[in-house]
Amino acid sequence: MSILASEWLKVRSIRSTYLIIGLSLSAVLLGLGLAAMAAGMYDSAPPDKRPNARIAELEEVLVIVPQLCMGILGTLAMTSEYVTGLIRTSLTVVPRRWPILTAKATIIGFLGLIVGPAAVFGTYFVSRWILGDRFSGAYTTEFLDRLPILAASSLTVPVFALLGLGLGALLRSTAGAIATIAGLVYVIPIIIGNLPEPWSERLGSLMIGALPRQITGDGNASSVFGSLLPPAAAGACLAAYAALPVLAAIWLVRRRDV
Amino acid sequence: MLDAVIELHQLTKHYGGTLAVDDLSFKVEPGHVTGFLGPNGAGKSTTMRLILGLDAPTSGQALVNGRRYATLSRPMHEVGALLDAGAVHGGRSAYNHLLCLARTNDISATRVAEALEQVGLSGVARKRVGGFSLGMKQRLGIAAALLGDPGVLMFDEPVNGLDPDGVRWIRDLMRSLAAEGRTILLSSHLMSEMALTAERIVIIGRGKLIAESTVAELTARYPSLEDAYMALTADSVQYGAAR
Amino acid sequence: MKAVFSSEWLKLRSVTSTYHTIGTAALMVALGAAWTFYVSGLADERGSLRAAAPEEGFLPLVQISLAVLGVLAITNEYATGMIRTSLITVPKRGTLLLAKAGIVGLTTFVAANAILLVTYSASRLIASDRHLGFNGTSFADDLPKLLASALSVTALALVGLGLGAAICSTAGAIVSVVALLFVLPGVVNYLPPPWNTRVATLLLPNLVPQIADERLSTRLGDGFLPPWAALAVLIAYPIVTLTIGYFLLRRRDA
Repeated sequence: MSILASEWLKVRSIRSTYLIIGLSLSAVLLGLGLAAMAAGMYDSAPPDKRPNARIAELEEVLVIVPQLCMGILGTLAMTSEYVTGLIRTSLTVVPRRWPILTAKATIIGFLGLIVGPAAVFGTYFVSRWILGDRFSGAYTTEFLDRLPILAASSLTVPVFALLGLGLGALLRSTAGAIATIAGLVYVIPIIIGNLPEPWSERLGSLMIGALPRQITGDGNASSVFGSLLPPAAAGACLAAYAALPVLAAIWLVRRRDV
Repeated sequence: MLDAVIELHQLTKHYGGTLAVDDLSFKVEPGHVTGFLGPNGAGKSTTMRLILGLDAPTSGQALVNGRRYATLSRPMHEVGALLDAGAVHGGRSAYNHLLCLARTNDISATRVAEALEQVGLSGVARKRVGGFSLGMKQRLGIAAALLGDPGVLMFDEPVNGLDPDGVRWIRDLMRSLAAEGRTILLSSHLMSEMALTAERIVIIGRGKLIAESTVAELTARYPSLEDAYMALTADSVQYGAAR
Repeated sequence: MKAVFSSEWLKLRSVTSTYHTIGTAALMVALGAAWTFYVSGLADERGSLRAAAPEEGFLPLVQISLAVLGVLAITNEYATGMIRTSLITVPKRGTLLLAKAGIVGLTTFVAANAILLVTYSASRLIASDRHLGFNGTSFADDLPKLLASALSVTALALVGLGLGAAICSTAGAIVSVVALLFVLPGVVNYLPPPWNTRVATLLLPNLVPQIADERLSTRLGDGFLPPWAALAVLIAYPIVTLTIGYFLLRRRDA
């Protein structure tokens, strides 16, 4: 508990934390802008074309902003200590080492759990408010019908935060950890999209971006992602993205010279 | 004779092919300052890291109060250490930096304020550490070591970057801490300072023990502590330079 | 100036991160070969097929790896405090940045071309006369695309360097590069037409096909830019970011 308080203070006492959380929430503003633009297009379109107008689910597109930002928050929580050498002091005052990592994971995961839903639900409600009943689809269906996918998308944000934390501890390099996250989220899906079947769909089902819609059972019909996993397996897969790097980090940090 | 508080038993550490600490055994006793001397690269910092459980020894062991450091549950109450004054996050205030450390060992915020007062940093407690001079960072590092009011203290080159006032302050602080019965291990390259501060001396070179003695014995055999150091480390310095 | 260049060259050669980033980029060769073996096997079963060319499919890997090299060329110095020493020895900050840009540009251009050419040749050799969809054209026809791809890598590395100089933070600069390379193109797809195509034509990853005079994608259609204009936009990216980086570097206390 005392170590948790210490890690909480570490996160609170750095300006970049607030900057990163602010950037995460800028997804809501981006959603506002995109929705306003779409509403303008809709209103200026001839009435006979309006029923066919479609709009993407903005919060599912823009969730990449809090994902990436909170991934970096997680990375920096670890790598900033390695860069400055503070990690030596931290591990001197807590020589068992693992409580430091679990405390960091708890704090970072908790922040992700707050920021993720704030960004995703914020974007959803702002878009819905701007668009009104203009487009048929995501923003005119009942909120309760959208709730599962909104919750599942939100959950990817703490997963990214923990993934960043784990990679930061494993690689001890800000550049390495962030580039690995970018590779995992952006480069690999591009490559997988180019794979011939059945591998494209198989591997595409395992990508983080593919998991929310498999958790809710909606499937990823119009994207490079696959839809092979049942909801429970997709949920387990999402949890594994967070848990495996953090567990590997705890294992390694306990054994490695600082 | 008092029981030794820091004990090294045949401590050895390899980094890849480099032998940093070589079969090193010595004891540090309470009640006085023990100076830890050796040329650059002799293994002083590595030895301190091994004592603190930051690096794992290849063989042998280091004990603090009869136990391995890593098994201590509230280590700040037993051991305080300053290894690298620059190892702080520049964006954090001095007060928050210390409070982060204090919280892990259930040390109160009042104690943090006391420690800041003790090292003379109360006036800049809320300032970002990034703007501190090296001397101020040394004082901050010493405050961190003192937080838990520990019986054992280790300082790696704490005099670096301090002004003459600060050097005298450290000397008086070390001696008063030792007079309270604490165990102090202090590394430094300033021989004149060491002669004034320390009572016992441990000298290592290329990871091996060269001498373990009192300042009085050394200054009896040689004109000064500096001469003693030069004579004793001559071999290891030359060998080190030839490598 | 020559001395500053040779010093920067030595700096780049003497840090392990340079080899890590180039090594990661060079994974393209192995991945490209594995890819070609795999689709060749499929082609032997199914006859001909349309697979993506490895030097295009794996290009983002090279782009992001060498962009990190560009970022680290300057943010490493900020992280270690080396920047102060550098600015004492080379007080003209423009000269320092220019030397870094020259070395980063040259290194990444040579590395990218080498990696792309080896991947290209290896995959064509492995494919031999099978019909894989990407190996029907001659080398002369493919050359503009290859050069444009390598140039995009260099441009991105220099953008990384400029951003690194502007914000002095490894995390901030890499994220900005990731945003430019991956996030922005993703979000732009969702702009209402015709804005999606208009903005997308100007984005860095989409300039490569436009320089080679190819379609952007089935979704975005043809690009708006003729090859020379796309090339100009590609070159403008590093020039703009390096200029911003220069002005901030010049005004800021190190």
